Amino acid sequence: MPKTLRVLYSAFRMAMLHWIADPQWVIPNVIAPFIYTFVALTLFKEARGPFGLYAVLGGGMMGMWGNTLYSSGFAIEFEKWQGTLEEVLAAPSNLLHVIAGKSISNALFGLTNMVAILLIASLVFRVPLGVANPILFAFSIILTLLSVSALGLIFASAFVLTRSAQVFTNGLETPIYIISGSMFPIALLPFWVHPVSYILGPTWGIEAIRIIAGQESVSLTFWLNIGVMLFITLAYVAIAAFLFKKVETKSRRDGTLVQA
Amino acid sequence: MVAALELSSQLGQASSDKAIVAEHLCKVFNVTKGVLRRTKNQVMAVKDVSFEIGYGELFGLVGPNGAGKTTTIKMLTTMLIPTSGTATVLGYDIQKDVTKIRERIGIVLGGERGLYTRVNAIDNMRYFADLYGVPVNIQKKRIRELLQFMGLWDRARDRVETYSKGMKQRLHLARGLVNDPQLIFMDEPTIGLDPEIAKETRTMIKELVEKGKTILLTTHYMFEADELCKRVAIIRNGEIVALDTPSGLKKYVMDTSVVEVEGFGITENEVARFKEVSEVLAVSADLSENKQVLKIQTPKGSEIISEVQEILKNSRIYDIKIKEPTLEDAYLRLVEGSAK
Repeated sequence: MPKTLRVLYSAFRMAMLHWIADPQWVIPNVIAPFIYTFVALTLFKEARGPFGLYAVLGGGMMGMWGNTLYSSGFAIEFEKWQGTLEEVLAAPSNLLHVIAGKSISNALFGLTNMVAILLIASLVFRVPLGVANPILFAFSIILTLLSVSALGLIFASAFVLTRSAQVFTNGLETPIYIISGSMFPIALLPFWVHPVSYILGPTWGIEAIRIIAGQESVSLTFWLNIGVMLFITLAYVAIAAFLFKKVETKSRRDGTLVQA
Repeated sequence: MVAALELSSQLGQASSDKAIVAEHLCKVFNVTKGVLRRTKNQVMAVKDVSFEIGYGELFGLVGPNGAGKTTTIKMLTTMLIPTSGTATVLGYDIQKDVTKIRERIGIVLGGERGLYTRVNAIDNMRYFADLYGVPVNIQKKRIRELLQFMGLWDRARDRVETYSKGMKQRLHLARGLVNDPQLIFMDEPTIGLDPEIAKETRTMIKELVEKGKTILLTTHYMFEADELCKRVAIIRNGEIVALDTPSGLKKYVMDTSVVEVEGFGITENEVARFKEVSEVLAVSADLSENKQVLKIQTPKGSEIISEVQEILKNSRIYDIKIKEPTLEDAYLRLVEGSAK
């Protein structure tokens, strides 16, 4: 296995071992989605059209995004708490690969969030969730998760510099959730918000998920959404790599990381 | 020791006859204070530090808290960029060859933190083996050898949070060796350990040197530096104030005796009064225990006993001894008494 993949896998594995060792993830991944779904379905109860799907997917995205954003940012804080950050930084591996491995692990746990939402909506609230193309539906969700994860990676770089980054990312959770059109179509948002929506990978991902949930045949629009999301995700990874390089050099020069 | 350790380095090294060459290293930190009225200050943590360490040497860097030991180590391990000065580690430049240096060195930090306590020792070792790019076909054998060497193999599959302090420190040492480093940086590896475990750790450190490893060790304990190190640098306020063999450093205080006073009720004011006596070169005091110990360095020896009794007339004196100076006394003289 190439060295980079080995580091990604090892960081992923270590994060998974901690998820398993620490069952507090049940709260953000099962209980919180239940509450999201209940609130969303209550809000859209009287509405017509595909709002049941919007509510369910929106609730899922909210939990998933919150989980990934929090966990990716928390990846650096976690190392500080454990006192392992210095050891990890002193290793010859690229810190971006270590954090990316952890972010993918967080994204996978974000997936449990989405699955929990779908199950709760279907079994508890009896929302009809007939998915026309389950394979592409799952494929779209996984790609959207990776996109969310890559976005989380950009925010994680801020944590290399300062723990105050937590305030920054906490403040971004709800705006990004709304601007990406997770709960309702972005057409309902003011037009000046649209450019921001379009540079968010999850905006295209959630649209692709909705398209494929409602139609059996695969349309060009679906693939267009997937393609744009992939392009934006790659751009996020490139931006994150650039930011990590910058903040690492800055922290080595200023000593901010070891003092923090 | 439980098992023999067989390590053979897989990585090459740049051509250099010294493991470390530090030349005029300086590190300045910018410190910002206040919220509304922000003031910026500069703190010089390391000033013009130069030294060399040969291959296979155990070199000690000792000094009080905040002296610049850790900052020096962080620059040499590429975790901090020096403000000025240069250094090579295993022949590689600390600013240009960051990855090459990191691949070839090991870092062992003291204390109970720095380990993933929710997972077991093997998972800790495996994770760092991957971060250091240790080939998978070597990892399994090496991790087993290291954990056996450290006497941890029987508990290797237990969560680290169930380990004692000593076991955690041994795991730190094992983790620091996972990439089979040519050079190991040990930052206070025996801090907080009980005497028996600290002794065990020192024995392991000696064995590593016997196996050809080069070690840069920082410590607060002078007897430890005396026992382990071939040469010792004493650092104070970011500057190296002395660099010699332990016996060479002791010569700094050959002209003095140590008057050791055991007593009770000795106050900080009384200790301060000793510092004002012209014949006293350095004073150290441990006033925390029931039996307080005061060490006074002076060329006058027993001649100052009457003065000691006069200053301590309000305290209880159990015993007064005149002793030959140790490395610790040389350290105290250099760190605290050099103003005199």
